[in-house]
Amino acid sequence: MTFKFRAAVVTGFSLFAAVAPMLAHHSFAAEYDSAKTVTVKGTVNKLSWVNPHAYVFVDVKDTSGKVTTWAFESLSPNALSRQGWNRNSLKPGEEVTVEGYMAKDGKPLADGSIHANSRAITRSDGRKVFVGSSADDVPSK
Amino acid sequence: MSKRHHNSIVGSLLAATAIATLLALLPVASVGQSNAKADAKTGKGGGKGNADQKENAADFQSALTPTGPTPKMPDGKPDLSGVWTPGLSFTQVGQVPLQPWAEEVYKQRRDTLSKDDPEGHCLPAGVPRISPFLQKFVQTPTLLVILDEGNIHSYRQVFLDGRPHLDDPGPLWMGDSIGKWDGDTLVVDTKYLNDKTWLNGQGLPHSEELHVVERIKRPDLGHLELEITMEDPKAFTKPHTFTRTYLLRPAWEIQEYVCNEFNVDAEHLVGK
Repeated sequence: MTFKFRAAVVTGFSLFAAVAPMLAHHSFAAEYDSAKTVTVKGTVNKLSWVNPHAYVFVDVKDTSGKVTTWAFESLSPNALSRQGWNRNSLKPGEEVTVEGYMAKDGKPLADGSIHANSRAITRSDGRKVFVGSSADDVPSK
Repeated sequence: MSKRHHNSIVGSLLAATAIATLLALLPVASVGQSNAKADAKTGKGGGKGNADQKENAADFQSALTPTGPTPKMPDGKPDLSGVWTPGLSFTQVGQVPLQPWAEEVYKQRRDTLSKDDPEGHCLPAGVPRISPFLQKFVQTPTLLVILDEGNIHSYRQVFLDGRPHLDDPGPLWMGDSIGKWDGDTLVVDTKYLNDKTWLNGQGLPHSEELHVVERIKRPDLGHLELEITMEDPKAFTKPHTFTRTYLLRPAWEIQEYVCNEFNVDAEHLVGK
């Protein structure tokens, strides 16, 4: 039963993935590769509260101590705000794990950060929040 | 547990998950609503937990849409004013019968995964395409103004004062709209649209000959029903009619949305 239940949950998320692309102001498939998923663990650099999409910047330190910054596209600020978010909802320095999709062109943003689309963020307290394709939960203020 | 019973439960779980998923998605599709109760009480998002989120998500079709009689203008005509969400109906256009050249254009746009969608470049949606964002209707006896929160901030003026269409103003992004009442239905007639806009996110094309007639009803307080007919003798083989339903969101307001602020997407839309 546990397995079946998990299957049901997976089906649910598949539905999310199927419908989510049309929520962006642009074609999801033209910019991101739904088959190229990525999971990144790091600390929040900043939540950039800009249109047409907010961006979550995450610093990732490798074993040598070198820091790489990732830029995860999220929903628009007005969509996020109606889910209870504001520009202070993610604080710099918070440890997060972000699941997302890589940009197809493999090119960084102008500031050099690695470009991807966020699907879900697991926060330091273990809660999972969705800022790219759904919003099942919202962060505490 | 019998296998049949077991499968039945699994089937129910699947169905329940699918429904819960779609319900949870609807707030996002309609630019979010799950904290509307908190918004209404406190004026801001509540930062609620999962349980409240799901409860509120399930309210999409019920508590968030108020019930009551159709508001009326002093002259007795329906008042269409309010902040409306199209929900997922923003995607609805239906199967439009296209001429061969238009079919070819449509195929090319789909094959390249809509990378050239004008909306991805923060250009206006045109008419009758809409986005998942809110629309605010402001009606006076002689004018209906429709304010689009997004994809870009844009507006439509529907003149109700009996004036005719403009005399060939050249192709316009949002067209020239005049309206008149047919009983309790507002009939909005729009012409002079440019051919740069798409009719849906997949790239459904049209020509400058596109002529749109929207028949808009407000059967009660909480619903707006639109029957939209498009004719385009250069791109379609025959006129096409489809419908949309908007839901009233009295606790919400349209918000700022400046699409070109950080539209880094434009340079990364590569298609395949």
